[in-house]
Amino acid sequence: MTQSRPQPRAPVHGRSPGETEARIARGARVRGRITGHGDLVIEGQVEGDINVRGDVTIAEGATVHSPSVGANAVTIAGTLEGNVAATGAVRLAPGARVRGDLQGTAVAIDDGARFAGRLDCEFDLPPELGGTSQGETRGRAPARR
Amino acid sequence: MASTIIGAGITIEGEISTDEDVVVAGTVRGKLTAKEAVTIEHGATVEADVQGGSLVVGGSLTGNVTAVERVDLQSGSRVIGNLKAARVTIADGAQFKGNVDMDV
Repeated sequence: MTQSRPQPRAPVHGRSPGETEARIARGARVRGRITGHGDLVIEGQVEGDINVRGDVTIAEGATVHSPSVGANAVTIAGTLEGNVAATGAVRLAPGARVRGDLQGTAVAIDDGARFAGRLDCEFDLPPELGGTSQGETRGRAPARR
Repeated sequence: MASTIIGAGITIEGEISTDEDVVVAGTVRGKLTAKEAVTIEHGATVEADVQGGSLVVGGSLTGNVTAVERVDLQSGSRVIGNLKAARVTIADGAQFKGNVDMDV
């Protein structure tokens, strides 16, 4: 046993301790709650709540069933069933399939994305349109392309 | 090559399963199953039963481990649980409480 030393694996990340990243790789499956801070990239399958202080990316080919996705910016190129509450922008990339409500400072739906749900979008009207309007516009908020 | 990574700030409560590698730098509670290598980095906390092809622990692990090939407890690791693997190393400076079963 003496010569068989543990081969310490080089840390895959960790160069900059501030930038923690989490990735659920293709073929991986998580059932449960994901919380914390740092960016999260999902390439596999996730079932459960996601609540992170960081950006969430649901990559092409990923499947997420989540009652609520809370994050900073959210980019979706895969499949999501569930609601998104983002403190930043939400973007549905081409190929995205989303069923649920989206909330964010901005919502972008690219050509080729499929979406069924409601948009809750907070934004300020430009000054020439009366300036000080704020708050949530429920229902048919404009989706910016 | 694109392994699953649980970053240092991230907590997963539930079940993780994959055919490939898993690197935990954050916190996992529940169950962790991988076909390939599992790495629990220094500073990580895992409270879960772990199954993997192999396991390297540098952080804290509470739970039972079954590995096909080997388990390596590095210096500074803290492990409470039973280990079952064909090859097991416990480095000087590792803390370990539990049983070892090398299937002899």
